[in-house]
Amino acid sequence: MRCYGNPLSRRGFLAAGTLGGLGLTLPELLMRQAVAEQKQYDFVEAKAKSVIHIFLPGGLAQQESFDPKPYSPLEYRGELRTIKTNTGEEFCETVPQLAKRADKFSIIRSMSHGEAAHERGVHNMFTGYKPSPALRYPSFGSVVSHEYGPRNNLPPYICIPNVPNEFAGTGYLPSSFGAFSLGADPTRDDFKVRDLDLAGGVDQERFVQRKNALEIVNRHFVSTSAADNVQAMNTFYQRAYDLLDTPAAKEAFDISKEDAKMRDRYGRNQAGQRMLMARRLVEAGSRLVTLTYGSWDMHTDITASIRGQMPALDVALSTLLDDLSERGLLDETLVMLTSEFGRTPKINADAGRDHWPKVFSVMLAGGGIKGGMIHGASDSTSSEPEENAVSPADLATTMYRLLGIVADKELMAPGDRPIEIVDGGKLIEPLMV
Amino acid sequence: MNTHLHKSLCFVVAAMVSVFSVPCLLALAEGPESLTSIRDATAKPDIVVYPEEIKLGSARDFQSFVAVLRRDDGITEDASERIDWSIADPSKARREGFVLFPVADGQTELVAKYAGSEVRIPIVVSGATLRPDVSFTKDVMPVLTRSGCNTGSCHGAARGKDGFRLSLFGFDPDGDYFRVTREIGFRRINLAIPEESLFLKKAIGAVPHTGGKLFNPASDYYATILEWLQKGGNGDAADARPPTVASLAIFPPQAVIEGEGAKQRFVAVATYSDGTTRDVTRLAAFNSNNSGTAAIDDIGVVTAGRRGEAFVMARFDTHTVGSQVLALPNDLEYSAPPIEGDTIDTLVGKKLQQLRILPSGRCSDKEFLRRVTIDITGLLPTEDEYAKFIADTAADKRAAVINQLLERKEFSEIWAMKFAQLLMIKSTNQVSYKSAFLYANWLTDKFARNVPIDQMVRELLTSTGGTFASPATNFYEIEPDTLKTAENVAQVFMGIRTQCAQCHNHPFDRWTQNDYYGFASFFSQVGRKQAEDYREKIVFNRFSGEVKHPLSGKPLPPKFLGGEAPNTKGKDRREVVANWLTSPDNEFFAPSVANRVWAHFMGVGIVDQVDDIRVSNPPSNPELFDVLGKKLVEYKFDLRSLVRDICNSEAYQRSSQPNESNVHDTRNYAYAVVRRIPAENLLDCLCQVTDSADKFRGLPLGATAVQIADGATSNYFLDAFGRSPRATVCECEASTAPSLSQALHLLNGNSVSNKINQGKVLQRWVRDEKLSKEQVIDRIYVRCMSRQPTSDEKQELIGSVPDQGDPLPALTDIFWAVLNSREFAFNH
Repeated sequence: MRCYGNPLSRRGFLAAGTLGGLGLTLPELLMRQAVAEQKQYDFVEAKAKSVIHIFLPGGLAQQESFDPKPYSPLEYRGELRTIKTNTGEEFCETVPQLAKRADKFSIIRSMSHGEAAHERGVHNMFTGYKPSPALRYPSFGSVVSHEYGPRNNLPPYICIPNVPNEFAGTGYLPSSFGAFSLGADPTRDDFKVRDLDLAGGVDQERFVQRKNALEIVNRHFVSTSAADNVQAMNTFYQRAYDLLDTPAAKEAFDISKEDAKMRDRYGRNQAGQRMLMARRLVEAGSRLVTLTYGSWDMHTDITASIRGQMPALDVALSTLLDDLSERGLLDETLVMLTSEFGRTPKINADAGRDHWPKVFSVMLAGGGIKGGMIHGASDSTSSEPEENAVSPADLATTMYRLLGIVADKELMAPGDRPIEIVDGGKLIEPLMV
Repeated sequence: MNTHLHKSLCFVVAAMVSVFSVPCLLALAEGPESLTSIRDATAKPDIVVYPEEIKLGSARDFQSFVAVLRRDDGITEDASERIDWSIADPSKARREGFVLFPVADGQTELVAKYAGSEVRIPIVVSGATLRPDVSFTKDVMPVLTRSGCNTGSCHGAARGKDGFRLSLFGFDPDGDYFRVTREIGFRRINLAIPEESLFLKKAIGAVPHTGGKLFNPASDYYATILEWLQKGGNGDAADARPPTVASLAIFPPQAVIEGEGAKQRFVAVATYSDGTTRDVTRLAAFNSNNSGTAAIDDIGVVTAGRRGEAFVMARFDTHTVGSQVLALPNDLEYSAPPIEGDTIDTLVGKKLQQLRILPSGRCSDKEFLRRVTIDITGLLPTEDEYAKFIADTAADKRAAVINQLLERKEFSEIWAMKFAQLLMIKSTNQVSYKSAFLYANWLTDKFARNVPIDQMVRELLTSTGGTFASPATNFYEIEPDTLKTAENVAQVFMGIRTQCAQCHNHPFDRWTQNDYYGFASFFSQVGRKQAEDYREKIVFNRFSGEVKHPLSGKPLPPKFLGGEAPNTKGKDRREVVANWLTSPDNEFFAPSVANRVWAHFMGVGIVDQVDDIRVSNPPSNPELFDVLGKKLVEYKFDLRSLVRDICNSEAYQRSSQPNESNVHDTRNYAYAVVRRIPAENLLDCLCQVTDSADKFRGLPLGATAVQIADGATSNYFLDAFGRSPRATVCECEASTAPSLSQALHLLNGNSVSNKINQGKVLQRWVRDEKLSKEQVIDRIYVRCMSRQPTSDEKQELIGSVPDQGDPLPALTDIFWAVLNSREFAFNH
């Protein structure tokens, strides 16, 4: 494994070769090099200790959520009305609970990218990169897992209920930085994360004996195989041992330990129970929890579809913000609500809206994000960003910075190929505390 | 274009190897100086000039050229600068740098002389005094595409940009002509003062332009558009359409560059439907799929980076072509191993030699037996099979065991399962369990009876009747949408993803919207009606129904993907397309199926992903890719024969231990890829070694996971280990990536612990057969890992088994440990 902060990186050597002609001595050069490296890999203070990433698959309509256009013609603004927030802004009437708490979070109304196909849009919003035919990029969760590793023996990157799409994976990073998925929906009455208890008839002592035997059997093969997938499996076994040895970590997965009243507050539905689960996990030490809710690809009858799905989200997300606040966790937990893109300015022939990546909205809260801000704006018909367009790279850079990760740091892709965590993203400074 | 490119590659490789393998080996023994002297004494330098013939068709025409020196160690150098160039008859053509211009009609030759070598390239000049008008489609559109005006992030976006829309990558020239010249009155062009046209002023940045300055007024791009405007800004008359681009080529077809920073210039030439050619090096868009190894700039110059291989591509009009570029470090120490063996090994060997990579050695008999048994049957070799194979002293015992394994029913079951995944066989609200079950049985039966795969696909695509009575018709029930059906056929049976072309010409491949809708048109006449049983549907051919092109709104007649438009009058269109698809001449079907088979055994496809074959995702070994397809045709589409060749190759039988030279390579089969055993197979192996069967819905106790008919049937083990949910036709649905859930499940879950208890293998050995603890450990190892424990392992493990009392708990722990080991879960 390469040491990333090493001033004598591969590039450093190259630079030494080319600068030799300028008459710099090697120590001088090394010093300059070290300064340059230090600047690049500057230590930044982490505002957020963890992230709850709520992803709405299909493409949330900005008009029917956080960026209504009440003064545009009917075929643009749609049938839904608006509601005043407690900060004096206007949201769509579908989010009354969030509107009452608008001082607790910020909205970016000028998110923008160029990918109108679901999978390509999802790629942008999970990696901060445009899809490339030559390289698979790691998802946010895998990068965080790579940079920080587990805390309190909880998996650093967890997906509720399952890994949501193929871009939520490890990309060019080793597969050991992959997500742990719960494998079941916490909404279900029989929900249980499997295999966290030792098999029947196996006590701790016997488990230790088994581990010893496994150590002996593994040694021959593991010591001779450098294959990434084999090493990843080793890592996962080690993580499993750590997790099994930590009762508090195991308990985080048990949602039945939560007060029934609290479960009701979140709502006994997918949005509610998944967010509650996410709070339990970040509270216990997980670093990035990704959850999905609903299906937002509303090509037909958008009014009814939004009315069907939005209330649960509105209640659950509001409760999540309140709950995190009450526990004093909101300041150190970044809550990020995203979708792969927005929806077309104009209502289509089927009373729905189609894919629109040019401009859409994203919500951020806690973890070093100011409350009550609206960042950027879309134009009068929500066709283009009017000011302060934010790219997926900008959003990713900001999220990483809040976690204390400098996003232009380079990670190593196969073939000793240094790749920036995010390429060319700018911090969204007006939103940062 | 493909065949053309492959032929050129074949030629280059053949030439390179023949001159290089023997003298190089000989020379290396004596050191580099003597190598040079041998070269000088024996051969003139091998110079190739591209393009190999030059046509100049009008006063506007010109053609650039490039010379490549092919060293006898396989390295190519751009020799254009070093060559003494001349023109045989300077009254016909003149040369400026590396570009030729017409002077007068006639024929002459471009002569290249270098160190005793001479190459002559024929030049044909015609129409040297004619200066045809600038055409919007042929001349202006390419400038827009080259300048990036019509990309998805600029005016090519579905709703345009800043109020001006162009068709994405220029798929709709007529629409673009209208929008440039007529939309918003005459705002964009000014025919009275052409230089004042907004269209031009935006492009040169003379007025504010979100896209910035794209070219300057001194450029040929500016001149083209200005001249077009000066002549009236005319469109192309309907009766005088300019010729269309028939093909595109990029030269040289392959480059092997030595040393970081070394350069090679490329030339792109388009051939039009009227036979004329055009130098499009300044009009094509260039890119590289691995710019760290070979970066290409916008005039086609490649600069070598770190060691590796890349594919540089040129896109012009709807065509994309590519050239392979290998970058090697300077002064690499390498002695070429002999290339021997059958076709597969020769081709793999040649590629490794080009990359200066040494293959790993042969795997041991034990490793081989385990590997090949898992790959062919999805199960582990039994203790008996192991003992027999190890005791066998015959020289051809590996080939013999391959033949035996191929006769087993498990082989056909695995392939039936793989195709059931691709065909998404699964009960849903629309497809009844009975339909799904019958469909899966139909498929399994085809593979069990060794029906050639072309015949099976024909039956599938042309199926008619009830979904119970004629289960193949479920193909049209599982995906009822016409466009999706066509996409799925292309992806599953040709390995081509056409989805992009639904809305616009494919940006990274050759497929246009016409191709997409023309191909979909073959499936537009499928009719469906309710059968007597409410769960059954009847699929039939309606002999009517068309697919309309979204731009013209007119029905598109059926057209083969990348082929002609056949006469389908009075025929079942599906029959026409099925016959074309499965014909031995079809350039996509056999290679893509063969590549799937290859990937199953080798861990990575020659084109990877196996269902994403496109110009911009080329095969790592183009000749091998073609050869495997040809083999499959030659074997009359019998999978077993192809598998026999693959498994008998040295490439398959290599050790999984990489060596220093090949450790960074992942695509060229220099060592065996270590693979996690796929979910279904791993569960079956677990059941096999523990003698404890699973029960799946609709199948008898003891049926394997591979035999599961209905994709909706699963269990936690299969889900956690990445079984295909059969939701799309993508090969990527099935995953073998490791995860924490897998580790937890093997450690604590019921799959391992319960199966050990239920199967009672250890009880039988200890209580009935009275085996000693050493014997039990030996047998656990052989049964699960096809090897004996090493003496160290045995000694350490025995230490945990008590001499007195019941040895079973401790032996159970050892069995448990073996089933949890990496060696068990991986095929290596």
